[in-house]
Amino acid sequence: MTTVGIESSQSGIPTQERRAPVKAGKVALWIWGIIGLLFLFFPVLVIIAYSFNSGNNLQIWEGFSLQPYLNAISRPDLLAPVGVSFRAATGSALLSAILGTFAGIALARSQKSRWLPALVGLLGLVMVTPEIVNAVSLLPWFVTLGKDMGFVIFNDGIVRLVVGHSLFSSAVVTFVVRARVAGLNPQLEEAAADLGANPLRRFIDVTLPLIAPAAVSGALLSFTLSLDNTVLSSFISVANSNSWPVYVWASVKSTLRPEIAAMSTLLLLFTILVLVIVALVLVRASKRTGGDDANLSSMLG
Amino acid sequence: MENRPIRMLVPEALKASITRRTALSAALGTAALGVLAACSPSGSAASGSANKSINLYTWGAYDDPEVLSDWGQVTLGSYDSNEELIAKLVAASGTSGYDIVVPTHQFIPQMVEAGLLEELDHSLLPNMSNLDPNYMDASYDKGNKYSMPKAWGTTGYVYDTTVITRELTSWADFWDAAANEASGKTSLVADMNEIAGAYFLANGIPTNTTDAAHLDSYKTFITGVAKHIQAFESYNSTTIAQNGRVLAQGWNGDARRGLLDNSDQSRYKWVLPSEGSTLFQDNWCIPTGAPNPQGAHDFINYVLDPAVSFRELEYIGYNTALTGIQEKAEAANLELLDMIFFTQDQVDNFQRLEITSANEQLLAIFNSLQAAAG
Amino acid sequence: MSHPIAIEVPPPPLERRRRGTKKFRWRISTLAAPIAAYLFLFFIVPFGVILWYSFGFKPSLYGTHDNSVLSFDRYAEVFGNADFFAIFGKTLWISIFGAAVTLLIAYPVAYWMAKILTPRSRNIVLVLVLIPYWTNFLIRTLGWQIALNQNGFISRILQDLGLLNGPLEFLYTNQAVQLGVVYNYLPLMILPIYVTLEQLDWRLLEANSDLGGNAISGFLRVTLPLSMPGIGAGLMLVFVPLMGDYITPEILGGTKGTMVGQLVASQFKTAQNWALGSAMAITLMLFILAVVVVSTWILRLGVRIAKRANRIVLPELVIEGK
Repeated sequence: MTTVGIESSQSGIPTQERRAPVKAGKVALWIWGIIGLLFLFFPVLVIIAYSFNSGNNLQIWEGFSLQPYLNAISRPDLLAPVGVSFRAATGSALLSAILGTFAGIALARSQKSRWLPALVGLLGLVMVTPEIVNAVSLLPWFVTLGKDMGFVIFNDGIVRLVVGHSLFSSAVVTFVVRARVAGLNPQLEEAAADLGANPLRRFIDVTLPLIAPAAVSGALLSFTLSLDNTVLSSFISVANSNSWPVYVWASVKSTLRPEIAAMSTLLLLFTILVLVIVALVLVRASKRTGGDDANLSSMLG
Repeated sequence: MENRPIRMLVPEALKASITRRTALSAALGTAALGVLAACSPSGSAASGSANKSINLYTWGAYDDPEVLSDWGQVTLGSYDSNEELIAKLVAASGTSGYDIVVPTHQFIPQMVEAGLLEELDHSLLPNMSNLDPNYMDASYDKGNKYSMPKAWGTTGYVYDTTVITRELTSWADFWDAAANEASGKTSLVADMNEIAGAYFLANGIPTNTTDAAHLDSYKTFITGVAKHIQAFESYNSTTIAQNGRVLAQGWNGDARRGLLDNSDQSRYKWVLPSEGSTLFQDNWCIPTGAPNPQGAHDFINYVLDPAVSFRELEYIGYNTALTGIQEKAEAANLELLDMIFFTQDQVDNFQRLEITSANEQLLAIFNSLQAAAG
Repeated sequence: MSHPIAIEVPPPPLERRRRGTKKFRWRISTLAAPIAAYLFLFFIVPFGVILWYSFGFKPSLYGTHDNSVLSFDRYAEVFGNADFFAIFGKTLWISIFGAAVTLLIAYPVAYWMAKILTPRSRNIVLVLVLIPYWTNFLIRTLGWQIALNQNGFISRILQDLGLLNGPLEFLYTNQAVQLGVVYNYLPLMILPIYVTLEQLDWRLLEANSDLGGNAISGFLRVTLPLSMPGIGAGLMLVFVPLMGDYITPEILGGTKGTMVGQLVASQFKTAQNWALGSAMAITLMLFILAVVVVSTWILRLGVRIAKRANRIVLPELVIEGK
């Protein structure tokens, strides 16, 4: 509950005697932290460097070339799995955000339900289930649904990917939103009630905007998780719905061409670009409506 | 604040989300979603109209990408083993969405029996007359009702002559070198039948044995050898090109690609073992429930064109089973021709693998090998 | 599903505002109905299906499962299979060791971010930690493979510097598997620890030093116990997916990277023995669940003991902290 303000005022107070070892410790932490970051970036930098390889094999450096990039943006067999991944990730993020937000609100606000604790246990179970178990259980079930019961929608690869990926993600979003709602100030809603707003209005005008950041950050996380999913995707995918990781995994086992590294680099740049643009827009927006932001932060922590 | 295990698991981790910065990243995410959604190609809409659009489920890097794009829109999926292909088709029971699959010969009878393959319409395949009759009308598919030869090859091995200075010529030599000079630097193809085949051939046992004594001796032997095995790798061309292995069991076309890509082409030596080796013939087939059988026939007919087939051969390094393709390759002075085409003596020494009742046991032995090698 | 709850809601009309709130709270539990239905349909039922399969058998070469005779034989097969347990043990070792090493590397990084960095640079570092994660994990693992290859540039540099005679022999070893595992799961450990440390009330540390404790005792008595929730979350976030992972280890480890997930997958993909594969999957899942529950319990016990110890050293602060 105590907030940032205390912490920053705290750093101004000098501690007298133990300065030298503290300083040494700080230096060590700086070194460790920076080495840690370099460690995280190292293979990504290797991939970026090798994406300019003119050879046929990604792993064997021949010379510098931009050809892999030209190939990456022109070859349909590379673009198709990227498109599949984006569609599945978008679907999974939306579905997880909707299901998880509702469930998160319910879990945080409803105290007297008998079945909600069971739901929490179930969500926990979902989160500790290894991907391979989900994969092998969903595959026969999709076939049963799609083929034997005639719900043909489950023969669609994207639908299968969305469902498979959003199992874990929706549990994640639920807990993110629950934490957020639990941290909200209930007086806001009560104030709205005093002003005569009915429950639905109160929910739409007060609660929903306040939990939106959590819902969206959960959605973002779902999106990322979906883009990385390999084991489950390779099990349940059908023709035409091979996702990008499944494509890369197949290439790992046969021949890796530099185009794959080039495409990965482009995807990374694209992500960073989007993040930067939105960050700029957000900064500008918060400057215009500065009050909002201050309000928000006072309620956090 | 219940005392559920999950509280320990997640919410603490996710309290991150209740900070301003995550609110920010959250908003970034939304925007990203929108942009990405807008960017994703509307694949199905684009591919729906023409029949020049098929889904091909095949082995890794088994077709020249330019051959595919010259025909039309080919969406590729790939598998590592026939079992994986069959598992996929069985599980999907006609809804896999693939138009063409490329199983190896010995799997075709069972696939037909299980109703996984559709009959081919020969009237749509005029180019089948280009195929060498030696590879047609085989026992596994009389009259080629279900399959057209795609390519065939054999299993041998390559070794690094800078490490193994003696001459290796047989499977017995292979296993001996694996336990000596190449210990810890040997790879086997990731196919339980091929590994067993290499042992059976080295010991004069029929490759399709179901004899319990043979299988027991194989298990004892292979778990003993396990510690020398570095990896299971079917497509080993990149590794060989990088001098990454001393001894590697492999298929002729992939091994050839590795030799060609190596900066020192004479460093590795290819061996077609003297005891004989297993032959595989991969075939174009149309799975039951294929969405675009017309397109599939059109594509198969296209790749049976001599010029196209030759481009495929150049790319994959496997004999594409067309009449006169060897002469064409010789005229074009392709390198390492002896790794694509074989003498009659060698061909007589080839053995075709079959599916037997020992299949499950071979997988169990393969798992033992994995456990022992780890 | 919502009806019985709705019927149960005859709100005693005490006062306008409270009635409204109460009514809202009752109804709100139904918001969880969609996810419950969803999980029922795509988690419980499919899980029930493989549970059912696990009591059956494989009928023929191309049959995948048959439940005409029910038995525990598949479980007997799993538990009687020495190879399964050898690989299971190895997977467990890789997962535990990997989670532990990840923790040792991640903790100082998280501490650095939360305590040493200014809030502004903290945000930048947080983004930097996440950026590599935006590249597909296979691609990142391949980056290591390229770098660590025996003809790769690290190998050449080490040889040129005279630090190595002959090429680098690192790929396809247990160490390579561990490297890949630690690398790929590191952010999952850094983030939860960072979050708990960031929310930590550093005044407790000051108080400890005021009471004569040194930096080490401050860390052991205050920081470490209070960051336990983050550590626990991180360990679980690394351990659980790692138990089922088999792709990272395989790329870098070759035969050294065979994991139990691969065995489960091969029963479905290669052997087409859904019965045995299901039994393996369920065994794996129950085991992980047991580990999670037991370790959570131990962790909570540890926190409780640590808190009790704290109370002795810093009695007034514990009260103040609340």
